[in-house]
Amino acid sequence: MAILEVKNLKKSFGELEVLKGIDFSLEKGDVMAVIGSSGNGKTTLLRCINFLETPNEGEIIVNGETLFDASQKENASESDIRKKRLHFGLVFQNFNLFPQYTVLGNVMLAKELLEKERPDYKQNKKQIKAEIEAEARMLLDEVGLSDKLDFYPHQLSGGQQQRVAIARALALKPDILCFDEPTSALDPELTGEVLKVIKSLADSNMTMIVVTHEMSFARDVANKIIFMDEGKILEEGSPEDIFENPKHERVREFIGGIGAI
Amino acid sequence: MFEFSFFAQLDWEQIREVLTSLNIGFVKSLEIFFLTLLGSLPLGLVIAFGSMSNIGIIRWFNKLLVWVIRGTPLMLQLIIIYYGPGIILGNNWWGSGATGRFIAAMIAFILNYACYFSEIYRGGIEGIPKGQYEAGEVLGMTKSQIFFKVVLLQVIKRIIPPIGNEVITLVKDTSLVRVIAVYELMWDGQNYIKSEGIIWPMLFTGVYYLLFSGLLTIFLGWLEKKMDYFKV
Repeated sequence: MAILEVKNLKKSFGELEVLKGIDFSLEKGDVMAVIGSSGNGKTTLLRCINFLETPNEGEIIVNGETLFDASQKENASESDIRKKRLHFGLVFQNFNLFPQYTVLGNVMLAKELLEKERPDYKQNKKQIKAEIEAEARMLLDEVGLSDKLDFYPHQLSGGQQQRVAIARALALKPDILCFDEPTSALDPELTGEVLKVIKSLADSNMTMIVVTHEMSFARDVANKIIFMDEGKILEEGSPEDIFENPKHERVREFIGGIGAI
Repeated sequence: MFEFSFFAQLDWEQIREVLTSLNIGFVKSLEIFFLTLLGSLPLGLVIAFGSMSNIGIIRWFNKLLVWVIRGTPLMLQLIIIYYGPGIILGNNWWGSGATGRFIAAMIAFILNYACYFSEIYRGGIEGIPKGQYEAGEVLGMTKSQIFFKVVLLQVIKRIIPPIGNEVITLVKDTSLVRVIAVYELMWDGQNYIKSEGIIWPMLFTGVYYLLFSGLLTIFLGWLEKKMDYFKV
């Protein structure tokens, strides 16, 4: 069974139709790169999947459970939407770390707030907190930041901040982790360290959707690529299909123009 | 010796008497100052949320309120609030005693400062990048968790300098209450011009204001420093 199915997703802002019917599905462990030039709906697609925008049409199905169906006009309560959101994680282009928390605090905060709702939280407070902290330390170790636990975001480089953001998203154990141009705000020097972390997640079978302009990364790490053009998927396939035998002139131009190969 | 004779001429008895009187007025000024902050800091937040409300009528009511209060002199507001009910409605809510005058003055001050604070809060809240809210949302936080755990401290850090400005202004604005005969520091000082023909008590009141706003400046600076550990 597919871990994620997106069916006929459409989104308009006023008159402007940004997504014109997007369909794709992912299996567990898939890494899908979303490529295409700016302004063609890549970010909007991620924002719809993460419930930051409400699609006008379409369905989002995770593990067979319909999380969103535009034809079903129920008014989902805030707590319902929160539960649905937790299937996904999102890493932003400009990190959006919480500046007043330390690295460790950033990773722990959301989980702590979530666990407070457990009925046994009060009794086992100490133990629960210790577990959250141990988990956070482990994640930060995985992204190579165990020596920065007590640093504040402004004391870190962009690449370090983005790695904290990845650990923060992982702390909630999402089924699917989404990245919105995770290296676009970084110096070329710092891009590598973030891509390395994403690659190691791919190796550990994490299901991911990565909107990116890093063509070599898309080719090497993704097992599935969609090329978006004017709100539609113009072409999809394996990295070999897209990079070596693109069917559309537009895709060939884009890849050739970027000169990634 | 000049200095010796200067001090010899000082009437220490009179100075002590003046200081005693100024102290009483200063205590009143302090009461006005602290009560105004106590009322207007939270009320300002309510007005700020009101003027950002999605409900049109609430938003416009609050915007109108802020416009009227910020657009007219505080002295005028004191006079209207104190004399208005008696003259317009034929019913003097405030009675004839000092307590009534003080309450009227406090209402005018709290409302006035709340409107100024509300605009500072609004600027602070609207200045928080959308990404902070979105990061909280995708991490499954509720709206109130995002406000209290993520946004609030960043807002506080941003607004301390402009709030500090208003607080310093308030120190001196307390002297306006004399217009409805609430006796505070400057009133006491000015009395000596009328009663004894001496002006130095007025200069003394200036020293009181200076010392108090100096202390506040130190406190505000300390508060800003406390928030230095993160950047927004």
